[in-house]
Amino acid sequence: MENLVQIALQNVNLAAIMPSLVLVCFGMGLLLINVFLPRGTTRPAVWISLVGIVVTAVVTVQGWGNPQYGFSDAVALDNFATFFNVTFLLAAALTILMSDDYLRREGYAVNEYYPLILFTTAGAMWMASGTDMMTIFLGLEVMSISLYVLAGFFRGQSASNEAGLKYFLLGAFSTGFLLYGMALIYGVTGSTRLTEIGAYLNSHSSLLANPMTLAGLVLLSIGFLFKLGAAPFHMWTPDVYQGAPTPVTAFMSAGPKAAAFAAFLRTLEYCFFGLKPEWSAMLWVLAVLTMTVGNVIAISQTNIKRMLAYSSISHAGYALVGLVAANEIGYSGVLFYMLAYTFMNIGAFAVLILVGKQGEENLTLEGFAGLGYKRPLLGVAMSVFLFALMGLPPTAGFAGKFYIFAGAVKAGYIWLAIIGVLNSAVSLYYYLRVMVYMYFRDPTEDYAWISLPVSVLATIILAVIGCLYLGILPNEVMAMAKTAIF
Amino acid sequence: MYDKLWLIPFFPLVGSIINGLFGKRFIRNEAAIGAIGTGAVFLSFLVSCSCFFTLLNDPVKVHQQVVASWMTVGQLQVDWGFLLDPLSALMIMVVTGVGSLIHLYSIGYMHGEEGFYRFFCYLNLFVCAMLMLVLGNNALVMFIGWEGVGLCSYLLIGYYFEKKSAGDAAKKAFVVNRVGDFGFLVGLFTIFWTLGSQHGVWTLNFVEISENAHLLGFGGTVVTVATLCFFLGATGKSAQIPLYTWLPDAMEGPTPVSALIHAATMVTAGVYMIGRMNVLFAMSPTTMTVVALIGAFTAIVAASIGFAQNDIKRVLAYSTVSQLGFMFMAMGVGAFTAGIFHLMTHAFFKACLFLGSGSVIHAMHHALHHAHLDDDPQDMRNMGGLKKYMPITWATFGISCIAIAGIPPLAGFFSKDEILWWTFGSTRGNLLVWGIGAITAGMTAFYMFRCFFMTFHGEQRTHKKAKDHVHESPWVITVPLMVLAFLAVVGGFVGVPAALGGHNQIHHYFEPVFGHAQEVYKIGIKEALEHSHAAEYGLMGLSIAIAVIGIGIAFTMYLKRPELPGRFTARFSQLHRWVYNKWFVDEAYDVLFVNSTKKFATFCWKGFDVKVVDGVVNGTGKLVNVLSTALRYTQSGLLHNYALTMVLGTVVMVAIFLLQ
Amino acid sequence: METIFFYLVALVAVVSGFLVVRCQSPVNSALALVNTFFCLAVFYVMLYAPFMAAIQVIVYAGAIMVLILFVIMLLNLGTEARKRYTHGVVWAAIASLLVLVNVVFFIKRGRVTGAEGDITDYLIKTEGHTELIGKALYTEFLLPFEIASILLLVAIVGAVILAKKDV
Repeated sequence: MENLVQIALQNVNLAAIMPSLVLVCFGMGLLLINVFLPRGTTRPAVWISLVGIVVTAVVTVQGWGNPQYGFSDAVALDNFATFFNVTFLLAAALTILMSDDYLRREGYAVNEYYPLILFTTAGAMWMASGTDMMTIFLGLEVMSISLYVLAGFFRGQSASNEAGLKYFLLGAFSTGFLLYGMALIYGVTGSTRLTEIGAYLNSHSSLLANPMTLAGLVLLSIGFLFKLGAAPFHMWTPDVYQGAPTPVTAFMSAGPKAAAFAAFLRTLEYCFFGLKPEWSAMLWVLAVLTMTVGNVIAISQTNIKRMLAYSSISHAGYALVGLVAANEIGYSGVLFYMLAYTFMNIGAFAVLILVGKQGEENLTLEGFAGLGYKRPLLGVAMSVFLFALMGLPPTAGFAGKFYIFAGAVKAGYIWLAIIGVLNSAVSLYYYLRVMVYMYFRDPTEDYAWISLPVSVLATIILAVIGCLYLGILPNEVMAMAKTAIF
Repeated sequence: MYDKLWLIPFFPLVGSIINGLFGKRFIRNEAAIGAIGTGAVFLSFLVSCSCFFTLLNDPVKVHQQVVASWMTVGQLQVDWGFLLDPLSALMIMVVTGVGSLIHLYSIGYMHGEEGFYRFFCYLNLFVCAMLMLVLGNNALVMFIGWEGVGLCSYLLIGYYFEKKSAGDAAKKAFVVNRVGDFGFLVGLFTIFWTLGSQHGVWTLNFVEISENAHLLGFGGTVVTVATLCFFLGATGKSAQIPLYTWLPDAMEGPTPVSALIHAATMVTAGVYMIGRMNVLFAMSPTTMTVVALIGAFTAIVAASIGFAQNDIKRVLAYSTVSQLGFMFMAMGVGAFTAGIFHLMTHAFFKACLFLGSGSVIHAMHHALHHAHLDDDPQDMRNMGGLKKYMPITWATFGISCIAIAGIPPLAGFFSKDEILWWTFGSTRGNLLVWGIGAITAGMTAFYMFRCFFMTFHGEQRTHKKAKDHVHESPWVITVPLMVLAFLAVVGGFVGVPAALGGHNQIHHYFEPVFGHAQEVYKIGIKEALEHSHAAEYGLMGLSIAIAVIGIGIAFTMYLKRPELPGRFTARFSQLHRWVYNKWFVDEAYDVLFVNSTKKFATFCWKGFDVKVVDGVVNGTGKLVNVLSTALRYTQSGLLHNYALTMVLGTVVMVAIFLLQ
Repeated sequence: METIFFYLVALVAVVSGFLVVRCQSPVNSALALVNTFFCLAVFYVMLYAPFMAAIQVIVYAGAIMVLILFVIMLLNLGTEARKRYTHGVVWAAIASLLVLVNVVFFIKRGRVTGAEGDITDYLIKTEGHTELIGKALYTEFLLPFEIASILLLVAIVGAVILAKKDV
């Protein structure tokens, strides 16, 4: 018995899970504190969760350049994980900042919202730092279950209910694929450790052509592809994104999506580097499909929230291009793009929250008519986000796309890059339409209902700064992303 | 001094941000907003001046300032860098100089407009983008400027967005420019990719591209295709055939905008771009010929349309298209210096003409408004005899008309004559181009003086009630007019040719930029003509004669015998109808490409291969829309359908993997 | 003998699985599901995993199914809920058929040659099956095991939030 405890403790390296540990502690503490807070008092919860995120961020940043491994290699807090962790924390912080007033306005000022965001973030962290399929799987489940609840958070609204339920059922369905894939891979290699799987497949190269390995790879991929909303596993996104509370939608499309990319990237690179031609070809097709489907359907949307949902599909497609490229620039481009996307997408949703009116009545294109004149600040901010989403210089979106497509070109996928650029050209159409409404239509409203709370203002300003900084001086962050990949 | 280059676009950017964010709520005062806007551009002008004069006395002519590294990918390094050489130095002088004058003018012209702050915000942003365009040391920085000026032009054309025509014009400008930008990007990518993958030079820097351009091979396919794509980009931005139709419509914007963006600066971006990439263009004689011919045809077609327009701004707009055609003619025959020289002089006199027309419109609008009439203040048929009411405007407008007509010793004469001389005598010259150019010069003189006489001379056709309310404009409007008129008089003296005893300083000035390409690829005046002044004198005499004849006809028709135009129109009613309706090009485009995708399909079906850009763009748009609506149906909202799609996707993916 | 037994149990498992989908009354469906779980437990036993078999019976067939039955009875679903929707049944059939083809193809092509783990028969006999699992959970898989606790916490919080009348 003594012996066992010693073995157990030997492998414990708390430094390797410190960020998620801190975050989970804050989350659980918050759950306890909430019990004693009077109903409707949400400010303390907001502050505590923000403090939690800041503390976690401090802890996370310490890990840069100082990789920690532990728990018998079930987790690795390397630069890769740290880079993604920062992305998740940013997404969470920006989301929390813009949530409070929105939740109040919609009449759901419930404190449990904040711990759930923290738990989601912790789950994402486990996905990014997991080097064992079990860690990744459980991280994904923690993240997903919190998100199911958050998506259905507005219990009185049927759209939100529908979003939660749909996401839950399809998510469970896709988890089945993921687990099946993991089981097959375990069956082939006899291990759940990513590095061991990779080494085993490498030393037994006949296994690479084994249908079981291939089927395992495909099913595993599908589990991740579902989470990042790639076609043809994207069908849930529009409905869920539209029905979920807007801050949750913003969060979902930034943090968890990045987490799925992180885990997918690590799995592919650690386990299946021997099958690179195969999965590159597969992802090539899916990337093209995803970009095109997202962009083409987004064109005929008149509800901006739904349009952004489709646009988020197409952005997953652009990021997939980086995975296809499978070289240094492509991979670091994905890391960069996810960070950039966090800023521009959450920023756009923050503006949406302000313009949306109570009950989200005002999310159609007409609802933005003349906004640029009536609310110049919001107009300018929204223009910056839209420019970034379009991928025009000098914004973060341009730099991100530039890196990713450069990676694809470098790897010889010129057609993929061309298709990507053409897709961006198509996307100009629907993003610009929003700008046309903002600047070339007579305002039908005076937008008097828009109050600009400090917290939301902070979100927007931070997002604008992020978009411009990453667009104008991307080199430093890109260099960090380069040291973050394996 | 060269490390201060970044300040030049920076000041207008700051001005734009201040006015945009605080103009409406906090500053509010028109004078303050105007002062901030004008001051920002004027500060840039001061910095530009000091850079320009430092460069003039500096033996080293190419300077780059890298503010920060932008993106690094492998060997490719893209900087936030600026490039100062004689070409960009002259451009920033023109942009900031003319820009500050027009800003000053706008304070008076836009007085009392609701979106005063908005106007200055956009205008400053435009100047910033234009300066990025001309100063960028690599293609990406230039592209930011390129897109930025397009965006600002779009915003400013649609400034009066409550007017439907303004919104439509903005949209048109936008779509047409997209087509051009697409060409620009494809050309850029072709050069970048070929240089990189075949010759190992991964670069977007203009200096490096020029240095390595010879690797691509003289007259090679890659160079020809790429330069043709660049030229497509130039036709979009600089309003040449086939993409010129947006510019006349762009006159829906406020007049200072027409003067700054749609006459003096932005529309010359295409010419500038060819100048910037002169080495590449020099390497492809095919492209050069295309450029020259398109320029010539644009010049003459636009000039002919200018004959019959009655809207004063439209006359000037077509005149701009025509003059831009002249510049492209120059670029096409290898007379890069002459092209840029004409760009400069044109900026002076055309800005002056537009501002003069603005002054007239301002006065007319005021008077008509006072008299509660809703006659069109821009229609020249409502003007006439305004000379006595607006002497300063009259004088400056007149000077500019003489300048554009090409009467010595005003600016237009020297630059236009240089262009015609090169079309005639250059090794890349072309007698057809020269012939068209000479005829167009005469036409220019005619329609400009037609406009001048109809506006300022002859019988006054303004409504009686409004007549006495016409006044000369305030000083903020007249001072820029006078300065520009002065420049239109003296601007040409930097390029007095040797034949007239001058030193042709501008030629030497541009030697470091264009000399290399001209020397290596043997572009220059033919040897037989090089030392014979006789031919040059002959051509000069001819072009002066043509100009005088043009003015004479205008004088006869519109002053001496005002009944003539009516008889002429009646006699050649068919021709007049065609010219008056701009050769029906807009309608033709509508019929061919815009209105009827159905007809488009029939055309294709009948074997008509209509591959003109507008049609393709609209067709694709329609197609994407149809596809989009169709795909939307797959999003049924039913859960089991979604799950089904997932299963089918999985099955297909697994099957593909297992079958291989 | 063992093979015959396997096929028998497998047949029962598949048939009860089909019944879960086809039965008119939810209670019957639930009972069929219990049956399926039992069959799975039998498989575990056959694979020399007695602990897993016990867990399967206790947790799934025992606890979870009882809960499900309780819920069904407490809610006393009306006829509406008993209606079976047949929408898109053709497509579903096609999809299932394709999956089946895939699987058959997979089995035909498959050379299922997996790796062998560290846990040998000898180890199981000397240390005991349950002990080995416990040891693995507390050494090698300590982190996933702990994360699972957070997962449960999140699930409880979520259930409370979604179910409580007013929060």
